[in-house]
Amino acid sequence: MSQYHFLLRRGLQGLFVIWGVVTLVFLLRYMTPGSPVDFVAPLDASPELREQVAANLGLDQPIYVQYFEYLFGLAQGDMGYSYLRSQPASSIIFARLPATIELAIVATIVAMIFSIPLGVISATRRHEPADYAATGFSLVGISTPNFWLGIMLILIVSVGLGILPTSRRPIGFLPAMELLIFQLETQGIREWVVHIILPAITLGTYFTAMIVRLTRSGMLDELGKSYVQATRAKGLPETLVRYKHVLRNTMIPIITVLGLQLGSLIGGAVITEFVFNWPGLGTLIINAINVRDWPIIQGALIVIGIGFVVINIAVDALYTYLNPKVSYE
Amino acid sequence: MSHGNNTRIGRRSFLAYAGAATATASVAGCLGEGEDDPGATDDGTDDTGNGTDTGDDDSSIWISQTQDPTTLDPHDHRETTTDNVLLQAYELHLARDPDGEITDGLATDWEILDDDRHQLTIREDVQFHNGEELVPGDSAFSINRVVNPDEGNLESPQADQLAGVTGAEVDDDEHAIIVHSDGANPTAFANLASYCPVVQESWVMDRDADEVGQEINGTGPYQLEEFVTDEYTRFTSFPDYWQGEAEIEELTIDAAPESSTRINSLQAGEVDISTAVPPDDAPSIDGDDDLYIGEAPSTRILMLPMRYDVEPFDSQEFRQAMNYAIDFDAIIENVLNNFGDATAQPTLEGYFGHNPDLDPYPYDPERAEELVDESGHAGVEIELHVPAGRYLQSDEIAQSCVGYIDDLDNVSCEIEMRDFGELAGTLLDGDIETTPPFFLIGWGNTTFDAQQNLFPWFTEDTSQYTFIDDDLQDLIYAAATEVDEDEREQLLMDACELAHELAVFVFLNREYLIYGLNERVEWEPRQDEYALAYEMSLR
Repeated sequence: MSQYHFLLRRGLQGLFVIWGVVTLVFLLRYMTPGSPVDFVAPLDASPELREQVAANLGLDQPIYVQYFEYLFGLAQGDMGYSYLRSQPASSIIFARLPATIELAIVATIVAMIFSIPLGVISATRRHEPADYAATGFSLVGISTPNFWLGIMLILIVSVGLGILPTSRRPIGFLPAMELLIFQLETQGIREWVVHIILPAITLGTYFTAMIVRLTRSGMLDELGKSYVQATRAKGLPETLVRYKHVLRNTMIPIITVLGLQLGSLIGGAVITEFVFNWPGLGTLIINAINVRDWPIIQGALIVIGIGFVVINIAVDALYTYLNPKVSYE
Repeated sequence: MSHGNNTRIGRRSFLAYAGAATATASVAGCLGEGEDDPGATDDGTDDTGNGTDTGDDDSSIWISQTQDPTTLDPHDHRETTTDNVLLQAYELHLARDPDGEITDGLATDWEILDDDRHQLTIREDVQFHNGEELVPGDSAFSINRVVNPDEGNLESPQADQLAGVTGAEVDDDEHAIIVHSDGANPTAFANLASYCPVVQESWVMDRDADEVGQEINGTGPYQLEEFVTDEYTRFTSFPDYWQGEAEIEELTIDAAPESSTRINSLQAGEVDISTAVPPDDAPSIDGDDDLYIGEAPSTRILMLPMRYDVEPFDSQEFRQAMNYAIDFDAIIENVLNNFGDATAQPTLEGYFGHNPDLDPYPYDPERAEELVDESGHAGVEIELHVPAGRYLQSDEIAQSCVGYIDDLDNVSCEIEMRDFGELAGTLLDGDIETTPPFFLIGWGNTTFDAQQNLFPWFTEDTSQYTFIDDDLQDLIYAAATEVDEDEREQLLMDACELAHELAVFVFLNREYLIYGLNERVEWEPRQDEYALAYEMSLR
């Protein structure tokens, strides 16, 4: 099977998965307790007002009608209308998406900066203090809950030491870059940087710990292979052996995990965003769940689902490209 | 695998770059910060207009509340948090002082002409933010837009807030409007002092719904500077405000649903006022030299309704026993950190119709056990349904109540945590059979009139009633149509007294509004949950 056939097949599978996600998310609305009307209408609302709210929300239609209307709407880019916010759901969701993507990417970069060096040190200095420190860190990092770490960082770094802001995202990355490029104004990008550091560390810690372990085990695995002995026998310096040959081969599974993890970070930023009041999809979903704003809940979950599927396909393609030993069958 | 052309990056090259990037990152990660040290945040706002450190700007304040406004259309929502933003810029026909007393607002005079007509004289020389003058037609339009779904391009969810009002028209002879009601409407002025901000007719009609929901043109002390949905709303003072320009020149309001986030921002000096401080966090704020706690009794009452039509709650003795069983003073002290008042009736102190002669049921478990025996329900097992996390410390209050009741020798009580939406649905479906026999609920009433606390719960005209007693219902109906203030007040007080005696609820507490404030801000919190910057000053 050629690469293109493989990608076509994965694309079709992805479409099927997305349809499943859409259906599941739509049905969630009917599996959860409480009617959206009870959140939109006040406790002392008249029956007439409640009927009006139900009609506005489309709840007076049979479920199959609502489902197909929703599917057709989605196909045209319409995710429904948020009556609680008096805006189309899609415009609210896509306004929030950049903040989540920024956070996920920066968390990934932070993880890369710290995890791979730690993993390399841990593997090349096995059973030494540096190895114990790195493996200890990875154990703590994997075990620490996001929300607790975030709150602790805020209390120590922001409230206690006053070094970084506690929360919020006063400016996005793209507007900050526009200011920098077109007005030579650095204030915007500085604001963006200082506000994203703590959320990115919080979100990236688990990921960092995981990559440390992956790098360590990958390096150890590669270091034991015969080609390493051969390169050493040829008289190559140890630095070249480690970084040109061993680390390069170790990067194959790491890059794969990186891609998949990026999807997880987009979906998993909910708690971190909530703690840092970061205006991304996570806080949007939590707030929407609290008031049963279903068009927002459904739309945001679908966007995250699509993100996962697309990233998965991209990683599959990249992996087969990077590692020819993997077949398309 | 075929590579189409040699301009594409090769696999080996890619891995080499990845390894090199990693090595570079390793080095970078070991170095210190660059020359642009992002250590401390900058002072105040900046060219980006987005600074968050407010502490050094003497003419601006930052308020952090629990929710962002869902819209900027003052007639298209039902949230106090949205009102808290909009009422900085929009005004009502009648206002309230911080104690809830009605005062003049955009109307300078108000009188009942007859049973179904009320006159409001509209203030002259008032300007909207767009520079145009307020005319009586704008006032009439605002009322009609709320009560009439065919008016103003909106089916307003606030129609029932002006209960009984059928419309308004301009009084040609005077600078006034006539408000029409469907029969006697003794709460019309109270409602107009709480609801229906005044908008400019031409401004609204020239815009579509989305634009009205994203822009502001009011007569209030602050005009909209910037609105970023779900992030913040920024105002500047309106120089032509009819009461004089505000002392605080710039106001920013944002939201953080998580209380610890709001409090951390306050302690870090990023915001000046944090709303909805949990009682447990109040001491840490009070202990900070730069901060202090502001508090006010709110317009919300917490209670445990009991259905009058099911055993054991159909027994007055049993209902009274539930009130005697609970040491509510201890709950206020230990759970609410003294931020709460015990109640004895369905309405609140300071409300029209509140009966000052009633005291809360005392804690007397022996008397409670006697009453349970008298009711014939000794040994009964009951369940308290609680909407999880809905109100201030309500889960802890409910658990304490259940503990006290369960401590009685002849009653077993358990707690059932419920989703608020699900529980509310059972209350509002018009079928009392689906309503839990015993549950916790909070009830807000910003009209400062007992009618709104009594009518929904004790008359058969509503979908959520839990208790019907003929004498009580007659008193409430009589008050609803009585236009003589003294007569009406007496009827409401009598109804409250009877409700106390019948033990229609287990009477819990009045919620308190707790604010964390920076010392630089001087402000006395209001009962109606609005943090109006015009009433604030800077030390």
